[in-house]
Amino acid sequence: MIDTSPVSDPPRPGTAVDAAVARLLEAHATRTPCAPVRDLVDDIDTAYAVQDRLTEHWLAEGRRLSGRKIGLTSPAVQHQLGVDAPDFGMLYADMAVPDSAEIPAGTVQQARAEAEVALVLEADLTHERHTVADLLRATAFALPAVEVCGSRIRDWDITLTDTVADNASSGLYVLGSRPVPLRDVDLRLAGMVLERRGEQISTGAGTACLGHPLTAALWLADALVRLGRPLRAGDTVLTGALGPMVPVAPGDVLQARIDGLGDVRVAFAPDTAEEA
Amino acid sequence: MNQPNIAALAETLDDATRSARTTARLTDTTPLDIPTAYAVQRAGIDRRRARGESLIGVKMGFTSRAKMAQMGVDDVIWGLLTDAMLVEDGGVLDTGGLIHPRIEPEIAFLLGRPLSGRISPAEAARAVAGVAVAYEVLDSRYEDFRFTLPDVIADNASAAHFGNAPWHDPDGVHLGNLGLTVEVDGRPVATGSSAAVLGHPLRSLTAAARLAGDAGVVLEPGFVVLAGAATAAVPLPANAHLRIAGAGLGAAEVTTR
Repeated sequence: MIDTSPVSDPPRPGTAVDAAVARLLEAHATRTPCAPVRDLVDDIDTAYAVQDRLTEHWLAEGRRLSGRKIGLTSPAVQHQLGVDAPDFGMLYADMAVPDSAEIPAGTVQQARAEAEVALVLEADLTHERHTVADLLRATAFALPAVEVCGSRIRDWDITLTDTVADNASSGLYVLGSRPVPLRDVDLRLAGMVLERRGEQISTGAGTACLGHPLTAALWLADALVRLGRPLRAGDTVLTGALGPMVPVAPGDVLQARIDGLGDVRVAFAPDTAEEA
Repeated sequence: MNQPNIAALAETLDDATRSARTTARLTDTTPLDIPTAYAVQRAGIDRRRARGESLIGVKMGFTSRAKMAQMGVDDVIWGLLTDAMLVEDGGVLDTGGLIHPRIEPEIAFLLGRPLSGRISPAEAARAVAGVAVAYEVLDSRYEDFRFTLPDVIADNASAAHFGNAPWHDPDGVHLGNLGLTVEVDGRPVATGSSAAVLGHPLRSLTAAARLAGDAGVVLEPGFVVLAGAATAAVPLPANAHLRIAGAGLGAAEVTTR
């Protein structure tokens, strides 16, 4: 199996990294999915180096880092990609969507959705190794969330290195608005249902996320310290899907309910490109 | 094509169950409609009763939208549960007598009042004397669990065994979105939500009452109603310890041999 934890000393950016960064930025700018980058990026450290170059690019453009997302947290998805650890990507403030908002058509490329537990931090997590106690003390509250994933890679034809380089296939994230302290919720056995027009399109529970959403958050906290971008007070952590990720279409309205955390909704505007 | 001989069809499935061997789909040779399929199911249970078993409940099937769509149906089905199918909580289940068993986590209701026919949500809730986290062991008598709707109804909705954790007072238990897991030797192999059962398990109890009315029978006080699966069924291994947990409801346990 492949260890997908990033190391503290990423390889020097080379021409292959430059080319992968350029390909992904082009896909972002033109809103046109690109070919996979695995021809340029064939190991996990290089993939994180590509992601970090994108992060530098966007921070220089003035985007504000608002948190992180954890991906590949379900055994089924890990098996599919042949890995035994999760991955992560950056969340920016411009990706955050309030409860019940409508997302304009075409905002996220090849959008897919999943329901997750979000943690909002009130303290930095800068230790080399964090304990559950560190995490509990640093977490201000939890919120229900829908992550709208997207892929710049054509047809989601991704391997581990493709998705890591592509900021962990991030898109937008929608947060509920009623904070719940961790003492008031059993995140491990919290049920989750994601519905569209009253139809259940994904169901699950906290266990589906690495056995416990806090386990995923601990992995993230340690990994980010190794990378030199630790979690800070105010950051939002999307801990990973509680059930299968599902495709979304223009016009869809999704509602997620997580037991103990409440619900959160998101709408996708109908596709009006032809009328415009 | 033959006209259905209900007693003979029930005997075929009963023999398959008792010898732990698959049998050909009944509909391969005999046209079966839904009422006839239920008559075969009933005849199968009558054979069990003649051997001394007694009816103690029902199990609901096709309670997830995904399964309904897969089977091309828009209503639930049921199977009948006898005392011989019940596994003592914490007990041992010998899989040697089963063909290709699968297990799924469920919510179970214990009835405190008789139910039959169309009932309101309030009547459904009032009839519940206890709720528990439960599991069902499925074992289709057909090869690879491949069947048409009449086939699976005739085969008692693939029922084989079931068990449940201790009963809880239903007051204060919100059943709509409880996390449920199946652990094999301590490791989770299936995770789901009780919301997968028709959106809320109580809807399944309402449907059970309706099916009882249609069949002209009554769900008696003391009956168990298995509401339906919260996850897809997973293979049931031999020589394993299984723990089926539900949020706030504890866990049912069974050891397989």
